[in-house]
Amino acid sequence: MGKINFIKEYFKIAIKSLKARRLRSWLTIIGVVIGVFLIVSLMSLSEGIKTALMQQLKMMGKDLIMIFPGEITDMATMMSGGLELTEKDMDAIKKAEGVETIVPMNYKGEAVRHEGKVKTILINGVSWKDGMDILKNDFGWSIKEGDWPVIGKKEIIVGSAVPTDVFPGMKVGDEAFISGRKFIISGVLKSLGNKQDDSTITVDLDIFKDITGEKKGAKIVLARAKQGYEIDEVIENIKSNLLETRKRVRGADSPSFSVLSSEKVMDIVGSILGMIQIAIFGFASIAIIVGGVGIMNTMYTSVRERTKEIGIMKAIGAKNSAINTIFLIESGFFGLFGGIGGMILGLGLAKAIEFAVKATGNLYLQASITPQLIIFSLGFSFLIGCIAGYLPARSASKLNPVDALRYE
Amino acid sequence: MSESLIKLENVWKIYQLGKIELPVLKGINLEIRKGSFVTIMGPSGSGKSTLMYLLGLLDVPTKGKIFLEGENVSGFSENELAKIRGQKIGFVFQQFNLLQNLNALENIIMPMIFQSVPELERKERAEKLLASFDMQKRAHHRPGELSGGEQQRVAIARSLSNDPEIIIADEPTGNLDSSTGKIIMEALSELHKKEKKTIIVVTHDPTIAHYSQNIIHIQDGQIIHNHFQEEKVLWEQNSHKS
Ligand SMILES: Nc1ncnc2c1ncn2[C@@H]1O[C@H](COP(=O)(O)OP(=O)(O)O)[C@@H](O)[C@H]1O
Ligand SMILES: [Mg+2]
Repeated sequence: MGKINFIKEYFKIAIKSLKARRLRSWLTIIGVVIGVFLIVSLMSLSEGIKTALMQQLKMMGKDLIMIFPGEITDMATMMSGGLELTEKDMDAIKKAEGVETIVPMNYKGEAVRHEGKVKTILINGVSWKDGMDILKNDFGWSIKEGDWPVIGKKEIIVGSAVPTDVFPGMKVGDEAFISGRKFIISGVLKSLGNKQDDSTITVDLDIFKDITGEKKGAKIVLARAKQGYEIDEVIENIKSNLLETRKRVRGADSPSFSVLSSEKVMDIVGSILGMIQIAIFGFASIAIIVGGVGIMNTMYTSVRERTKEIGIMKAIGAKNSAINTIFLIESGFFGLFGGIGGMILGLGLAKAIEFAVKATGNLYLQASITPQLIIFSLGFSFLIGCIAGYLPARSASKLNPVDALRYE
Repeated sequence: MSESLIKLENVWKIYQLGKIELPVLKGINLEIRKGSFVTIMGPSGSGKSTLMYLLGLLDVPTKGKIFLEGENVSGFSENELAKIRGQKIGFVFQQFNLLQNLNALENIIMPMIFQSVPELERKERAEKLLASFDMQKRAHHRPGELSGGEQQRVAIARSLSNDPEIIIADEPTGNLDSSTGKIIMEALSELHKKEKKTIIVVTHDPTIAHYSQNIIHIQDGQIIHNHFQEEKVLWEQNSHKS
């Protein structure tokens, strides 16, 4: 108990001397802030991206085949969403041996108006005719209230979070306006397991084309294998069909595509994102370590400047451990305080990006702010502070009191 | 004859400057008695401060033994010495040596923190000490806002915060004008008289000999004169004066 009490006193002493060197203290803290800021913002965003993508992928059944435009390993192009599969591509897929049905899918953020309120919501376009079955059986979609839409009517279904969070009070049978067109809410889905997906609206692909003006193509095509066919076999068939079509239509420089089973997609996306996260983590850690070097530099300068002060403290009865503790508290404080600052800024940026991305509607992103991330970044920065302060504090505590007192 | 408080036995302090050995104290034999007022005089560079640091257990001799209350402390660890310093020895320096970040009160509290004195007691005692040096109005001033004489009074108050037996003052008036210096010396002699502290003072001022029972002259690292006055005479002198 007594020990804790005196740690408190040493803490006060340490804070006073940090205050006495205000500018340098702030600069040192900023050095740490930058590193922690990088780790926190990048990690929470990349984790958010990962979660969003994985959740989307996880809903699909295992015997589904997905066809994406572009190379799946080329994340930048994939993410930008510029590429599309054309009508001709879809024909080729449909004709491949072993393919039972195909479902072109598309999505885009659009402004939706309900009872005077306007919100940007992600709209899924799925061909009801071919796709309703897949949505029900493979994606596990089911209706909580109301009914599935009637094909050909201007009816839409909304995710379970839409009547609660997005447009509170929305009911089956209500009108909603998308791009100036009027639709009737025919049904509300049961929760799909995450807020992002539950906050979407699904419409028939024809309606989607109408609303968005994107008449042709799809961002994803789902295909289901016929009974009795091996999924890998069907994948090969689709690939060769697509390749042939593209050669014929556009020549040698045809853009690439990816045909994958749903399982494979998850694996690839997961591992790519994992690698990106490791890289981010590595670079950001280096930034924190650089902050630590800044702490060490400041602490050594401080020890030199305060040599006389250390001598005085020893003359009035300070043990080496007391001097050591005071200096360690100072450097630990730099680390911890920098960590807190970096965390606040990092979370702030992550949230800002989350909102910015939501507003554009291209990707549904929720910055992942986990207790682990917070504890880790604070713990890590504090630890770096203590490690950086270890040698300077030791050299301070080991100073010969007489040499220190004679120091000018 | 009162009992021995500090005893130096053939104490040497030799500094190593590269290959050259620089002896600063050369075989000092000295005994400080409990309750005495000792003055150390000598030219600049003669080794007075070095001797004070050894007497104050801030430094260890190159050769020889130091006894505190009969116990040989030469082999004590840094921590043990720090503990003794904190409890039994108070320092007063020519440069005042207050901690610049702290105000007068906090400076006096500091040695008590290192001795784990409880918070309330620390504050109470520090305030009392400040008041006894007529400095209570300056409690929240930092050293930079105080005059030299005021700083030295705070420093003396600080040296008393753990109620030590010994006060070691190395040229305490060296940075003060003569009238302020006189106030400081009177404060030290009061401590000797009323609080029965053992006081060791380095000074160039021969009039300070007034206060002293034991005047030691040091030159070139050696004691060349160790002069005792009768205690009675001293007490009489002091009581006449006050
Ligand atoms: N760390 C040191 N290394 C070398 N010489 C020193 C050191 N400290 C003190 N001295 C020398 O010891 C001598 C005595 O110093 P000091 O005790 O301060 O004398 P005084 O207090 O009598 O003026 C001086 O010549 C000084 O230069
Ligand atoms: Mg000196």
